[in-house]
Amino acid sequence: MIEIRALHKRFGAHEVLSGVDLTVGHSEVVCLIGPSGSGKSTLLRCVNFLESYDAGDVRIAGKLIGYEDASDGTRRPMGARNLREMRREIGMVFQHFNLWPHMSALHNVAEPLRRVRGLPAAEAEERARAMLKRVGLSDKAAAYPSHLSGGQQQRVAIARALAMQPRLMLFDEPTSALDPELVGEVLEVMKSLAAEGMTMLIVTHEMGFAAHVADRIAFIDAGRIVEQGPPRHVFHESAEPRVRQFLQTYHDRNSF
Amino acid sequence: MDLEVLWRYAPSLLSGFGVTVMCWSAGGALGLVLGFVIALLYRLRLAPLRWLLRVFIEVFRGTPFLVQLFLLYAGGPYIGLKLSATTAGVLGLGLYSSAYFAEIFRGGFAAVPVGQIEAAMSVGMKPFDVLWRVTLPSALIAAVPPIVNMLIVLSKETVVLSIITVPELMYQMQTMAAETFTAFDAIFAMAAFYWLLVEGVSRLGARLEARVTAFMAEEARPA
Repeated sequence: MIEIRALHKRFGAHEVLSGVDLTVGHSEVVCLIGPSGSGKSTLLRCVNFLESYDAGDVRIAGKLIGYEDASDGTRRPMGARNLREMRREIGMVFQHFNLWPHMSALHNVAEPLRRVRGLPAAEAEERARAMLKRVGLSDKAAAYPSHLSGGQQQRVAIARALAMQPRLMLFDEPTSALDPELVGEVLEVMKSLAAEGMTMLIVTHEMGFAAHVADRIAFIDAGRIVEQGPPRHVFHESAEPRVRQFLQTYHDRNSF
Repeated sequence: MDLEVLWRYAPSLLSGFGVTVMCWSAGGALGLVLGFVIALLYRLRLAPLRWLLRVFIEVFRGTPFLVQLFLLYAGGPYIGLKLSATTAGVLGLGLYSSAYFAEIFRGGFAAVPVGQIEAAMSVGMKPFDVLWRVTLPSALIAAVPPIVNMLIVLSKETVVLSIITVPELMYQMQTMAAETFTAFDAIFAMAAFYWLLVEGVSRLGARLEARVTAFMAEEARPA
């Protein structure tokens, strides 16, 4: 579903991604872990081209995103319309939810259905209600984001992305901005999505969640994937010193 | 305080107040529209256009309104722009305030968190829908308090129109003072009228603000 090959990205003089290769298969759940500043979020944002990349390929279902390769080998930016069409198929959930504050929960979910899918208002709202129900927020349809807890806001954001019926979902540290007691409700929704066979690429610091839900873990450090494999392998059998050090730090911090 | 004199001049003071309110609202409306257009054009990111708009804003913010108005009214005819005093007054207020309103709208746009726009882009919204449904509402809500503030400032700038003989409140007051030698009474009456106007504007502004921020949680609402 996602194929990333030799991906390079630099911000000025600083190379954030230095040749990343990663594939995510249909219905597969892949978690990206690694120290902060390692390029995890940038990598994720390249997948729906919120971040442009300098070299390499990012393909969604076989189609290059963000650029068009001409037959003479040159590459030019993809047309805006084509890019929008590709983005419709890719749901994204952000660390800070990014709900639209002037719209109720219901309208946050219904708005893209109306503007992008072109559904009539009644139909869009009906589907939005069904999505809110799915994330356990039927009773909050009329509430504005500022009246919802962080966990509820993130669930609305997930509903907004899901309502578009994407072929895959990207999660950018979806629980990092939440109070610890609100993390669980968001992870539950993500677990149920994974169980239904959604293709998911997740940047996370929740190692327990990653261990239980991911089919594969990719550890990224200094712009490169230095280890990947089933959770068991990465968490317990990796010989890669940077992975071991990262996990050791994580254990030390979380033990009491 | 000579109530008899005030009573005698009441009709001219009232008509002056009417002209003041008219010039203020027409000038303010013109300034808002113009300022909004400038802020939108500014977003196009065309370097020469931006430079021109910058010059426009700096000129109208950087020079006294009195000077601008005088140049427009007295200097206009030299470039074929013959305006009645009132038209020049309204146009002057509009141009002057548009520079401030443009900056207010620009600030409003800049205050929209980039994440809200990214969320709209990530679902594949068209640029026009992103602007119309996400950026603009957020920006306008942020702009309401400074807009109300500027309108209040502008209501008091209208006194300057008296120097180009617009028959507004200040002009009527000066006439009354000159004819009756009652400087204090006339100024007192004028202050009362302006207070009335500003009080009205700020109450309307407060209601508007409460309305557009109704969706915010109590603690998140600007005081």
